[in-house]
Amino acid sequence: MNIQEIFQAVPWVIIAPILLIESILLIVALIDLARNDSPNGPKWLWVLIIILMNIIGPILYFIIGRRQD
Amino acid sequence: MQWITIFQKELLENARNFKWIWVPLVFILLSVMDPLTTYYMPVLLDNFGNLPEGAQINIPTPPPPEVFWMSFSQLNVLGILVVLLMSMGLISAERKSGVSEMVLVKPVSYTSYVTAKFVSTLLLTLISAFIGLLASWYYVNLLFGEIPFSYYIGSVSFYSVWLMFIVSISIILNTAFRTPGLVGFLSIAALLLASAINSVFKTRIEWLPPQINAYIKGYLSTGSITDDLWITAFLTIGVTVILLVASVFILRKKELAA
Repeated sequence: MNIQEIFQAVPWVIIAPILLIESILLIVALIDLARNDSPNGPKWLWVLIIILMNIIGPILYFIIGRRQD
Repeated sequence: MQWITIFQKELLENARNFKWIWVPLVFILLSVMDPLTTYYMPVLLDNFGNLPEGAQINIPTPPPPEVFWMSFSQLNVLGILVVLLMSMGLISAERKSGVSEMVLVKPVSYTSYVTAKFVSTLLLTLISAFIGLLASWYYVNLLFGEIPFSYYIGSVSFYSVWLMFIVSISIILNTAFRTPGLVGFLSIAALLLASAINSVFKTRIEWLPPQINAYIKGYLSTGSITDDLWITAFLTIGVTVILLVASVFILRKKELAA
């Protein structure tokens, strides 16, 4: 199976909403990080976590990255 | 009037924190995940499973109610974890930083302070769960077979009673301790303890709050609301009210002592 066949086999109608939700989460997390003056930990590290860790990265940022107080 | 002001302040805070965006999205992802992976499991195994040539795996397709229930159990683990971690600083962080003193020094009753926080968190959690499970219901209908919409309404309504119980556990621990991390840890421990107690005693007392999940599952497969489900739901609401009243007392005592 080459890449093109795999690409065609993916049911995009069903997967697309999930990808959309994922990307909204990622963008919202990045916007919030940009506006956040003192995140819990270095900023560049959070950028890496949010972008590289699928789904979990933004959630981690929202729960741990923003200071609770 | 005063209650509404604090409630609005909480809603505004949740909006500024982006909670109204990310919590519903996370709940949608969590609830949709299981129906989709179950449906595509044979395809995934075929293409990426590294099975030896000619291997045969026959996975029977589970009935639609069972797939729908998978979303509930997914929310019961990860969704609840998100709710508890999200609400762990609700009151404790404000007490630690002194914000709660600035609020409570004004003519704001402890009761409205605690209940406004409870209702705002509950509202966020419930709406997220409604949306997430609606998405799951939609996918199950599309991929597996029909589940009547009334089943969705019924199961989600009873499920929200369970979520209410969970938020109240977080609230009472929030009033008792000042460190958000400790509150998060203890509320997870308290829930684990509650389900452990339930599994030990469920043959004797059939209506402990965690047992409501088993009854909701039963409701999904049979479609009839049993008396057990009603009794458990009312008991859970009762326990929630007791927990809230206790939280108000604890907060009052702690704040007066401080």
